[in-house]
Amino acid sequence: MANARTDLMQGTLELLILKTLSHDSMHGYGVAQRIHETVDDLLRIEDGSLYPALYRMEERGWITSEWGVSDNNRRAKFYKLTRAGRKQLDAESANWERVSQAITRILQTA
Amino acid sequence: MKPVTWLFKRSDSKAIEREIEEQLRFHIDLLTQANLQQAMSAEEAKEAALKRFGDVDQIKDQCAQISRRNQPFIRGLKVLSLILFLSGVLLRVFFTELHITHLGDLLIIVPALGRLLLYVRSLNPSSFVSKPESSPLMLNDRAEFSIAAYDQRNLTPVERVISNR
Repeated sequence: MANARTDLMQGTLELLILKTLSHDSMHGYGVAQRIHETVDDLLRIEDGSLYPALYRMEERGWITSEWGVSDNNRRAKFYKLTRAGRKQLDAESANWERVSQAITRILQTA
Repeated sequence: MKPVTWLFKRSDSKAIEREIEEQLRFHIDLLTQANLQQAMSAEEAKEAALKRFGDVDQIKDQCAQISRRNQPFIRGLKVLSLILFLSGVLLRVFFTELHITHLGDLLIIVPALGRLLLYVRSLNPSSFVSKPESSPLMLNDRAEFSIAAYDQRNLTPVERVISNR
């Protein structure tokens, strides 16, 4: 039997992070917690994989980072969505809707 | 003065690595604390946190690599080397005088070596470690189970059933 776990599409993690940061500025742990709480246990996400994604997104100008103090009084890097990031979120969300509609349509008809 | 300080601060790769380490340690510590609140022993809590986090060294290397290529100083060097390289090519193509073609050669070789140096500098040990084929983001299937594809005789489970008859 083939491995039943299925890789998700490229860019999905970025979309999840963009959506999570659209509400509030957060540190990496906060982003991971919010995603885990939202998706329950339907998705398995290695927390560490968020960081290269966050760094890439910062490089592309979708988010900015700033060191601050967390709730437990420790230094933490907080991420915030930029205007370009918000645009990217809108574009990626629309794209996701289109793709999922197309796949659903194929599955229903084929 | 401030932009200059910022430029050199950003160029300090050790400082970048320290910041990444601090960031990752913060995350792992909070995961460990959350596990401790679920009545795990300290060792179990740490182990579970590391398991959920993934390969720390590889993640640190990836972040450092992205961070380094994003440095304004390095980006400036790359642009400069490209300009010098193209100037060298133009000199080589449009001039035939010996001293100018030598200058063209120099302008081609020096940026090419510089670019090679930047490439070698950006290499990390984790780049050479074989990575798992799966993505870190996957759908969870609770019914998942694994069956060994081949036994010692190189037979699949179906072939084994047939051969045992």
